[in-house]
Amino acid sequence: MDAIRIPAPAELDALDDEHFRQVVRAFLHENYPDDLRNPPKRLHWDENRPWYMKLAERGWLCPGWPKEHGGLGLSPAKQIILTEEYERYGVARTNDHGIVMLGPLVIKYGTEEQKQRFLPKILTGEHIWCQGYSEPNAGSDLAALRTEAVLDGDEYVVNGQKIWTTLATDANWIFLLVRTDKQAKKQEGISFLLVDMKTPGIIIRPIINLEMHDEFCEVFFDNVRVPAANLVGQLNKGWDMAKALLGFERIFLGSPRQSGYALSRLNILAERMGVWEDAEFQDRYARLRLEFEDLKALYGTFVEKLKRGESLGPDVSMLKIIQTELFQKITDTMLEIAGENAGLLEPMEGNRDLNIGGLFIQARPATIYGGSNEIQRNILAKNVLGLPG
Amino acid sequence: MSAALSGEDRAESIRMIRDSAAAVAPPGGDMKRVRELRFQTPGFDPAVLRQTGEMGWIGLRLPDAAGGAGLGLGEACALAEELGGALVPEPLIPAMLSASLLAAVGAGPLERVLTGEALVLTAWQERPDTLEVPGSPDAPRRFLPMAAGAASFLLPVREGGRIALYEQQAGAGLTTEQTQDGGHVGTLEPNLGTATRIADDIGEALSLALDEAALLTSAYLLGGMDRAFAMTLDYLKTRQQFGKIIGTFQALQHKAADVRMQIALTRASIEAAAATIDDGASGDARRAVISRAKARAASSSMLVTRECIQLHGGIGYTDQYDVGLYLRKAMVMANLYGSAALHRRRFMAVAPEVEE
Repeated sequence: MDAIRIPAPAELDALDDEHFRQVVRAFLHENYPDDLRNPPKRLHWDENRPWYMKLAERGWLCPGWPKEHGGLGLSPAKQIILTEEYERYGVARTNDHGIVMLGPLVIKYGTEEQKQRFLPKILTGEHIWCQGYSEPNAGSDLAALRTEAVLDGDEYVVNGQKIWTTLATDANWIFLLVRTDKQAKKQEGISFLLVDMKTPGIIIRPIINLEMHDEFCEVFFDNVRVPAANLVGQLNKGWDMAKALLGFERIFLGSPRQSGYALSRLNILAERMGVWEDAEFQDRYARLRLEFEDLKALYGTFVEKLKRGESLGPDVSMLKIIQTELFQKITDTMLEIAGENAGLLEPMEGNRDLNIGGLFIQARPATIYGGSNEIQRNILAKNVLGLPG
Repeated sequence: MSAALSGEDRAESIRMIRDSAAAVAPPGGDMKRVRELRFQTPGFDPAVLRQTGEMGWIGLRLPDAAGGAGLGLGEACALAEELGGALVPEPLIPAMLSASLLAAVGAGPLERVLTGEALVLTAWQERPDTLEVPGSPDAPRRFLPMAAGAASFLLPVREGGRIALYEQQAGAGLTTEQTQDGGHVGTLEPNLGTATRIADDIGEALSLALDEAALLTSAYLLGGMDRAFAMTLDYLKTRQQFGKIIGTFQALQHKAADVRMQIALTRASIEAAAATIDDGASGDARRAVISRAKARAASSSMLVTRECIQLHGGIGYTDQYDVGLYLRKAMVMANLYGSAALHRRRFMAVAPEVEE
């Protein structure tokens, strides 16, 4: 594996798929910190900074950005390969909102000045972004958001509250969906605004989740003054822009990897608990395993679509539902066979592969975030099956 | 020929097969013919069976040299799916099974089978829910589909360590029982004294052919569930209660979304199995993908057709309404060539460890 030469970033997109896969493997082997493989929790900036900076230094930070803006310019098909290999290696997610969300948005809708100002600082790790979309009363019904921005001279004055802001305590910039027209239909009065977190009037309060982790935050805005030049795209078009940005990456919410990881841990636990001889368990395991294999096959059909250069339709929602519900069924089964060990706060016997309760808890939000599974079913019903209402 | 096809050529070939299936299974066609054949003897139309022979379907999988079309499992599954959508009662899958056995041994009434002139059934099964072929010389052979229309039966018989093949003409020794879909299954008392011995060792060929029949049955079930669901969607978009189209109700929308996902998983599973085998998988790898597909199709066909009845409400419970035909077909076919439980067990026995 070490014999593989890693080409310059600009050459990566031209490699054939299999060669590219080998290069990614070699790259990870060479550069990824061993102690960060398969972390049990979402890492904070101080923990994953070395990896982020390594990616930045090697020019690998932004796989989907065009080369002219410092990205790798990879096709969706290659980005999927990259992600598959990262997942296989157990690579932790970085503080990636600038890379995945903001950068592409600025590239698509930003002014030349905004591109010059923001993109290079994502690439150097100077700006770490977080996403201010959800609000206490605008979750699944995101368009009901009420945090408002009122123009006062050449500044917007922002008041309101965001919630579920991932890793806000790590970030120095936040991108917001704000209400700029209260009279318009709810989707048509929303704008996209970039805010320096050091601006007076911003308070961040971490929320401890069921994992006993503080990855989510509440962010409060009290008369926060933001230069009007920080508005991206047209006024009141923020909703459409944010929606247009939901591209092929939606496929990753349905990546079978989470379930594959959980299934192999169930395997290990079953061995440890001595339940393999139990015919009922065998059949349960077989059902989970087959669901996993069929999910992989279905996922593969969507990947093939992308490889043919087609875009994804609303039916990609199926993957998210099937994957996350399978993940939960697997961790349910772990609890059921673990006896009293199910209730342990720490991994059983100090073995990270036997993190029974931890994995079960981690599976809970999977059916909630990224559009709850109920919302995904609404999407299937209306946009795929054509049901009315 | 089949192995050499590129992805694009394969897709084109599959499209052509689907189109040609319309000759027997017109898309959106009514169920008049199917209904007229229900609970009759022999329960299918021999002229239509001959037509499928003329179309080259019975020999679809056989090499050119054996008088076949040399096509892959991808094409065969597409065909079976179309037939399932129209609930075609002619026993094409059992005929294909017999054809592949006869082609493998190069003897017996292959030509009459391929043309559809004669329905020849392979009488391999001695007990419910099995893929094993004990070949007991005297054991009654069970669950022979549409047996009353058969011209002869192929009997696998164990001789020492091998399974020989005999052909027994139809006539004495056959009893039948009706099935939920309006067809019937036969039980045959072997009479080797009057049978003709046609091959020495068909064990391997038979096990391959049974697996293939299991996959084609899965595809037939897929066609049925797809069509039943399409009818159900139409109903959800037109039926009104409480002054509203019932398809606006979220409880029904979510049920419909769940059904759609089962169908998508079934299709992905079957198409992956066919492609894996067309790409040359053999042995345990072949058995694993087939068991996966059959386990999925067996359970999802029952789930989907049950939910389709439920989503229709009272009208779905009438015999006059077509959705019930799909439920009854699934009841008959879901367990053919191994139930879901059998295939889950077999999958676990032959599948490699999970890949993270």
